[in-house]
Amino acid sequence: MGALAIKNVTKRFGDTHILKGIDIHVDSGEFLILVGPSGCGKSTLMNIIAGLESPSGGEVHIADRIVNDVAPKDRDIAMVFQSYALYPTMNVRQNIAFGLETRGVPKKEQDEVIARVAKMLQMDHLLDRKPGQLSGGQRQRVAMGRALARNPKLFLFDEPLSNLDAKLRVEMRTEIKQLHHRLKTTIVYVTHDQIEAMTLGDKIAVMKDGVIQQFGSPQQIYDTPANLFVAGFIGSPSMNFIPAHLASEGGVIGVSLQSGDAACFAPLLDSQRYAAYVGKRVIVGVRPEQWDLAADGGGLACKINLTEPTGPDTIVFTQINGIEVQARLHPRDARSPGSVLHLRPDMSKAVLFDPETEIRIG
Amino acid sequence: MSVTSRPAHYGFAEHWLPRLVLAPSFLLVLVFLYGFIAWNGALSFTASRLLPNYEWVGLAQYEALFASERWWVAVHNLFIFGVLFIGGAMAVGIVLAILLDQKIRLEGALRTIYLYPLALSFIVTGTAWGWMLNPGLGLEKLMHDWGYAGFSFDWLVNPDRSIYTIVIAGIWQSSGFVMALFLAGLRGIDDSIIKAAQIDGASLPRIYWRIILPAMRPVFFSTLMILAHIAIKSFDLVMALTGGGPGFSSDLPATFMYQMAFTRGQMGLGAASAMMMLVTVSAVVVPYLYSELRRSRHV
Repeated sequence: MGALAIKNVTKRFGDTHILKGIDIHVDSGEFLILVGPSGCGKSTLMNIIAGLESPSGGEVHIADRIVNDVAPKDRDIAMVFQSYALYPTMNVRQNIAFGLETRGVPKKEQDEVIARVAKMLQMDHLLDRKPGQLSGGQRQRVAMGRALARNPKLFLFDEPLSNLDAKLRVEMRTEIKQLHHRLKTTIVYVTHDQIEAMTLGDKIAVMKDGVIQQFGSPQQIYDTPANLFVAGFIGSPSMNFIPAHLASEGGVIGVSLQSGDAACFAPLLDSQRYAAYVGKRVIVGVRPEQWDLAADGGGLACKINLTEPTGPDTIVFTQINGIEVQARLHPRDARSPGSVLHLRPDMSKAVLFDPETEIRIG
Repeated sequence: MSVTSRPAHYGFAEHWLPRLVLAPSFLLVLVFLYGFIAWNGALSFTASRLLPNYEWVGLAQYEALFASERWWVAVHNLFIFGVLFIGGAMAVGIVLAILLDQKIRLEGALRTIYLYPLALSFIVTGTAWGWMLNPGLGLEKLMHDWGYAGFSFDWLVNPDRSIYTIVIAGIWQSSGFVMALFLAGLRGIDDSIIKAAQIDGASLPRIYWRIILPAMRPVFFSTLMILAHIAIKSFDLVMALTGGGPGFSSDLPATFMYQMAFTRGQMGLGAASAMMMLVTVSAVVVPYLYSELRRSRHV
């Protein structure tokens, strides 16, 4: 059953096109992430799903029902906001009860719901406090509790963790994921943080300029990004984009890499699919962790310009084909700046892009 | 503190310069505000008539004040005026602010139009409303000229109604100001709170009544303070609109004080009534200041 379907939704203000034909289909129980840089239209799309803004064209279906003309309160949704949006003059209990009260839920049932939610989020001790007396993390918890009070068909999270400090953000991220496992409710989650997107989502829609650049599972998006933007946006440190010529040497198609005076030819796997591009310029995308130390002395001899130890790995900076390349190595393999390392890209995982269209080849 | 590491002469300047700069205004306030309050207090215990004298009569002026019918009319009027003026200006101002908050076009222009009466002095307001409410000149004459011969609106010259004309003019003058204060408060409300309430299923009136207006409590109190002290010291509006008349039917304590002290040669009585006003204003302002200062010290 489709929990949420967005069909060719557009939104414009005057001549400004915020959304240019969005299509998304999410199955019941899935965790959908809308991710993109600020101004990409993801929050507008979220507001359209919630019914807080109306689309200029297209259809929004929730639980197989067109909801274009349905008021937010009748869409059977609950939403958590970036600023938490708690009612400032009400205490936590009243905050949770407000929506129930508006819907005419009897007092006794309200109390049961509040008790259930408070237990689920371990916030019994906060029930009589005002939002002003809570810490950021506690407010976040209450905002989630308020959304959980009803059993909606769809949860909407609008950058819920952006206002938290780094440590709390990681904790709450885990908690949201656990909550999703337990409740199995469909969730739409807006974020600009690609790590949140990767860790939480069943499906990710990467957005830019009001267009979905790619829609797929986190692993699909990571391994086979549709274009340069997606490849650069997902993953940290981001993918290296090495400009190169696609050449054929003895029937094997590959790219030549050059670092300082050293050069090597890196053959591509399953290379016949790139045949049409032989002799043309391409951009080779190799993620930092897709570099290995060539113990046999092969590969490309690269001079290290800089190292950034992160603990588990060390990021090594070098120059290949005229651009700065980062390689993630085991700390024991890294050398200090100035020395030379023999690096070999894992070409089975490399992706190629057309420099003109910026779209992935093959 | 890093003060100890500074040169000595620097410490001297730092110590004395602020005091020197503040001293003139401090002295002026001390003499012309608190000094004259004290002098007025002293005069209220004397038998001063046209000019101040120091013939002590104890509480006789206060006894005379409380026995005066005219004073009680003024106090009664202040009560009517205060309640209706504060309540009316507040209600009109809040409604205007909520309507203006609906993201309408020309908001800037409308805001200026509503705020503009505040730029007029109460004298101008009073004079203009005096013309409009004058039965032989304003609204009533207009309606008669249009053929509604039975129309009657004589509040300005009706001793039982004259105080209400002051209320009308006062509300007209001040509600734009209340609107501006509340509009600023409403703009401070996080948009997503309203969105959350919409998703929770609350209607717009309910959102305002249950969530937004309760959050306006500080604005509400500031506005109340400002309007209350305008009401208590109201003088120019009454002088321009009704002159306290007909008779003394629309007197307020401030006009009573002025009449006694400066035109009827009863300076002691005027001083006593001024002291009563000071006490009233203090009763309103002191608790407010106390709570505000205490809060800011805690923050």
